[in-house]
Amino acid sequence: MNIQEHLPILLVAIPILMSALMIMLRSRPTFQKTLNIIVSASILLMSIILLLQVWNSGILVYEVGEWGKYGIILVADLLGSGMVVLSSGISLLALIYSLDYIEGKSLNTTYHSLFNLLVAGLNGTFLTGDIFNMFVFFEILLLSSCGLVVASENGGVTTISDKMEATFKYLILNMIGSMVMLIAVASLYATMGTLNMADLSVKISALSDAGTMPWHIYFIALLFLIVFGNKAAIFPLHYWLPDVHPTAPSPISAMLSGVMIKVGAYGILRVYFLVFKDALFLLKPIIILLALITIAIGAIAAVGQKDVKRLLAYSSVSQIGYVFLGIGMGTAYALAASLVYLVNHAIAKSMLFLTSGGIIHHAKTRDMHHMGGMVKSAPLMSSMFLIGAMSIAGMPPLGGFIAKFVLFDAAMLGEYYLPVLIGFAFAVFTIFYMFRAWLLMFWGEARDFEKYGPYSSHGPSPMITVPIIILAAAVLILGVYSEPLISLSSEIANQLLNPQPYINAVLGGSVR
Amino acid sequence: MNNTILSITIALIFGIGTFLILRRDIIKIIIGLSLISHAVNMLIVSTGVFDGEKAPIIAEGYHGSGSGIIFTDKLSEGILAPIVPPGTETPFVDPLVQALVLTAIVISLATTAFILILAYRIHEEYGTTDVKKLRRLRG
Repeated sequence: MNIQEHLPILLVAIPILMSALMIMLRSRPTFQKTLNIIVSASILLMSIILLLQVWNSGILVYEVGEWGKYGIILVADLLGSGMVVLSSGISLLALIYSLDYIEGKSLNTTYHSLFNLLVAGLNGTFLTGDIFNMFVFFEILLLSSCGLVVASENGGVTTISDKMEATFKYLILNMIGSMVMLIAVASLYATMGTLNMADLSVKISALSDAGTMPWHIYFIALLFLIVFGNKAAIFPLHYWLPDVHPTAPSPISAMLSGVMIKVGAYGILRVYFLVFKDALFLLKPIIILLALITIAIGAIAAVGQKDVKRLLAYSSVSQIGYVFLGIGMGTAYALAASLVYLVNHAIAKSMLFLTSGGIIHHAKTRDMHHMGGMVKSAPLMSSMFLIGAMSIAGMPPLGGFIAKFVLFDAAMLGEYYLPVLIGFAFAVFTIFYMFRAWLLMFWGEARDFEKYGPYSSHGPSPMITVPIIILAAAVLILGVYSEPLISLSSEIANQLLNPQPYINAVLGGSVR
Repeated sequence: MNNTILSITIALIFGIGTFLILRRDIIKIIIGLSLISHAVNMLIVSTGVFDGEKAPIIAEGYHGSGSGIIFTDKLSEGILAPIVPPGTETPFVDPLVQALVLTAIVISLATTAFILILAYRIHEEYGTTDVKKLRRLRG
């Protein structure tokens, strides 16, 4: 048995098994923490091996139950395995961070278990090749993240009633989104008679070439825009995000803002560019329009915030708009640019949320107007927040600059002048609100923090600082040495625009 | 005719669910969500009913006679029920959609359980089930 062939299923199965094991180990917290860290690190290692294997020897297809295209299949192509590397890296760091950040009782009982389920849902969503299976993993993601949002943190800055309210909004809206996805999947199955995405792609292309594509395929595609737009929080469906991301504990905010909203972008890339590639001419202008409105609304709302995490959440709304702008343009270069943007935003924003957790511990408040002059008392947090803010704003030595540069370059080459203008104007807004937040928190008159809890006296522990420093180093490296990411993104974009290798890999295997 | 009635029923349930979701009471919203999920499940089941077409399970070496469909196993002859001889046209259902619905029902059970507990805790924290009064989060 070659273990490398089984990597896709291991990446999904190990976290699910661990989540059951973690419940049983709740009376032995030290062993539980050590085991979870080891398993998360090994999942990161396995995902890197998977990415290298896919890079070297092509798309890896794993038939669960060996039913061929009629059963559930896991497909590791460059996009899927790259997203798995990103999500497992961020989840490992968020897990290390949460060991000190989450309150002990909550951490020992349910947190580890739900966190493993979240990782399983993310890996499954990125690796599955079956559209109904994607719905199931979306539900796993939704329920586990709801449980994690209500987990309480040390210090208790966010009250439990706020968490309840946010979770209620999140759950209701995402359940409606799930229902819409179910309707779309059922209509697709009733029309095409298959749920396998590669098979769907072949059949829809054949119908489109014959000129007999049923008209409701376009409506199904639009339903999927609602589903993935709801996950990614683009314009008409963005209003749950600024409530949910700030009330979650900081490591979970980092996971939600860093990886979970990227699931929507991944879904658009996978489903639209594989299954609905013949309906794309209709969808591209809609995506561009919604992306531009999202950019504008997120940036304008972020300017007026006084809660630091709420500001970061609105900034996420604005930044996901840039990712969708690249997807909407749809050329190979623009897709590569949007993937570069996605990775850079994921790393920088999760780092900012982790940093904001440290700041909140230090100041014991989320209100920026009650902070001030913290550059002396919290030098590490202030420098890390500055790095993250500069990356999000697109300052030259950092990853965000490369991302914005390639995105606007792609848009100029594609002659999308008005979108570039709007995107550029709101990039200036980004600089303004990020630096306004930094100035409010770290400069100005120093406030007295001595009276607040133990955190401001002994400073942040290594479990809080190390993940932030690693992510900051990643932001810096992606800015200075960005060629590997750009070449990987270009390769992914080429695979997306030419899905024939994917289809061959999935449908080539015979039914046993 | 049956299909029309089924479609109208699904549409009505969907409409009632949507109406309930727009109410102010949390419990009504949850009931509305359950109704919508049932409507969607019925929609999925209704996509898997076929009439007057060829059934998908066809015996290769068919031995039977009579109505054409064998409902009893004949293991000595290697026949597993139900098996249809080649060329028979009979109403049948797609078994895959029923598996899909089963999955969807289990998922909606889990979410409904979670959201009911959440509603109970919200009632404990806020002392009300009116969503208009859940307005502590603002920028």
